[in-house]
Amino acid sequence: MKKILVVDDEHNIRLLYKEELEDAGYEVILAASAAEAEQKLQEGKPDLITLDIKMPGMGGIEFLDNLKQNHRSIPVILCSAYGSYKQDFRVWASDAYIVKSADMSELKATIKEIFDH
Amino acid sequence: MFDDNLGLEILKEVAKISNSVANLENTLNQIIEVIRSKMHVDAIAIFLLDEESQQLRLKASSGARTNRADLVRLKVGQGLTGWAAEKKMSLAISDTLHDPRSFHFKEIEEEKFRSMLSVPMIVNNTCIGVINAGMEETRVFSENEISLLETISSQVSGCIRNALLYDQSQKLVKELTILYDVSLAVQTTINVEQGLWIILSGLTRGEAGGFNRVILFAVNEKTNELEGMMGLGPDSAEDAHRIWASLSKMEGSLQQWIVSETEKDGYQRSAFNTFARSLRFPIKSGESLLAEAVLQKKPLNVTNARNDPRVMRKDLIDVLGTNAFAIAPLVAYERSLGAILVDNRYNNKPIIDANMELLTRFATHASWVLENSRLFSQLSETNRELLSTKEQLGHSEKLAAMGELSAEVAHEIKNPLVSIGGFARRLQDKIAKLQVEEQYQQDCKSALKYSEIIVTEVERLESLLKDILLLSKPGDLNLREYPVDALLKEIIDLFQAKLLEKNIKVQTTLDTNIGSIAMDDQKMKQVLINLLYNSIESMPNGGKILIVTYLEMATKDSPMVTIRIEDAGGGIPLEVFFNVFHPFFTTKHGGTGLGLPICKKIVENHGGNIRMENHIGKGLIVYIQLPLHNVCTYNSKTESAG
Repeated sequence: MKKILVVDDEHNIRLLYKEELEDAGYEVILAASAAEAEQKLQEGKPDLITLDIKMPGMGGIEFLDNLKQNHRSIPVILCSAYGSYKQDFRVWASDAYIVKSADMSELKATIKEIFDH
Repeated sequence: MFDDNLGLEILKEVAKISNSVANLENTLNQIIEVIRSKMHVDAIAIFLLDEESQQLRLKASSGARTNRADLVRLKVGQGLTGWAAEKKMSLAISDTLHDPRSFHFKEIEEEKFRSMLSVPMIVNNTCIGVINAGMEETRVFSENEISLLETISSQVSGCIRNALLYDQSQKLVKELTILYDVSLAVQTTINVEQGLWIILSGLTRGEAGGFNRVILFAVNEKTNELEGMMGLGPDSAEDAHRIWASLSKMEGSLQQWIVSETEKDGYQRSAFNTFARSLRFPIKSGESLLAEAVLQKKPLNVTNARNDPRVMRKDLIDVLGTNAFAIAPLVAYERSLGAILVDNRYNNKPIIDANMELLTRFATHASWVLENSRLFSQLSETNRELLSTKEQLGHSEKLAAMGELSAEVAHEIKNPLVSIGGFARRLQDKIAKLQVEEQYQQDCKSALKYSEIIVTEVERLESLLKDILLLSKPGDLNLREYPVDALLKEIIDLFQAKLLEKNIKVQTTLDTNIGSIAMDDQKMKQVLINLLYNSIESMPNGGKILIVTYLEMATKDSPMVTIRIEDAGGGIPLEVFFNVFHPFFTTKHGGTGLGLPICKKIVENHGGNIRMENHIGKGLIVYIQLPLHNVCTYNSKTESAG
């Protein structure tokens, strides 16, 4: 079973992602911040990470830099409340960029695409 | 006939004259009285030399007819009087009919006087005039008589000279007074036309200059020409005489005359003012004397234009209809503002140095009027610009602040909205899968319906948030070369089903020369979809939509591609029309009012513009203009960002 690490500071969003992705047949682990995600990475490598951009402490884009340096092989999907970060060239390092929506079908389709690739 | 006693008497009389008022006319009349009382002659005449014209003019007389005395003028050397003046010697003739030097003025019946005694009046070895004594009978003047008149003459010459000086100083005082009055009047008005009119009128007044006609020229810096601004003067010779006749009757105070508005308005309608305002002279060296005076900042007095080598354009003579004129440049702070041109077309009075001095003084006043008005209008212009910039700044600051705020709010709303919507969807799924007993099935259906409502409402909110964010933070454009024709065809294809359903035909006339232009095709599609959707909505009964493209030169070197979309939806009410580009203004049920503002923003971000024409009863025409040559800055980024 593929393991997905969901990083988001909003509790309810984490819960939503967990339930939706588990229903889709994935194992889901959660982190509320970049620091916590780092800790989870020590415990075991996930197959994919969904990463919120705007978070207290280290933001998603900065954490993406770390991930791409230390865990190059793990695909990262950036999830943000809005699309304007698309203009930040640093987001190009991610494998996908998704604007958060109540409709999770885009996220699920993207995850599937990355795993099938 | 002449003894010491008489000599003393004469001295006494002359002393009396010297002490009385030094007015010339008065003085001359008193002198004649003295001579008449001491000598037994039939007629006495006093001629004075006019320095300007070098003519001897009859100024006072007794015993002869005087009604045409103003016509009695002699050159120095002409007639017996002229001879005496030229030689500075007394001349006694017993029978003037037999002297070849005689010259009789019929106007004063001079031929009546057969014998004549002419004595020059000398001051500082200069002849200032001649005293004549005449008798009707032929007779020889005695030594006594001659020396008596010579004595009187030498005694009164001083008085006459003083009187002349007094008259001159009176004239100067008048000139100064008018200058003072004019400067006062000019200072108290900020109306430039009024100020200039006062100055020009001053120049045509008899007390100062008394020029027949005055034209004021102003420098037009844009065309580099001297433009006729104002012309004051009679339209014709008849007009001139009529005006002068009425002027002599109207000797009020100058201040009063300046205030009288009736005259001021009159000049505007005059043919001469119209003529003056039609004059244009390029300010170039070697072009015209007027330009020369302005370029050299020097006044010029042209006494004989036809033979003057300085006059480059003889047509100016024809234009003015006069051979003599004078020009004074208008200068303030070393800056040429214009020129004043004067002439004496109707009385042909020569323009002398004293006139020129006065002209320059008036020109100085006119310069300040023009300069003040220039500075004033410059100041008001700057002030207006500042105010409008301030307003614009305030407006864009407000918009920017609103954008920041709405972006912030939108973000804060987005996350909870995702949770609400996401769980509502899950709820929907769960309820749908629920197996319940029959008695709960109705409740289950309702719960499903409620969750559905939450899901759709959240979807609506999400799309609104997306629009707000797009408007406040539109982001960079992903420019790439994209064919305009293809773009339009794709959009029309997209609406094919809807067009058929609504019975709407789309007719296109596309300029095939346009080809591809740099654009963010995704965003431009959004714009066109929005506009076409609006057009279709406005035509529920079908009709025709015209789409035309063409090239247009907005400014030199910047061709614009225009896309024109014309519908037959009957147009929109005015209050709607004025608000279509305002955010959150909508007439549609459930619309956000952000569609057109976003379109505008997208087109403007492309360096283009969008505008609408409202033809009530017919339809709306939308013009989208995009630059033909846009710089493809974000091209590479587009591909990598994918």
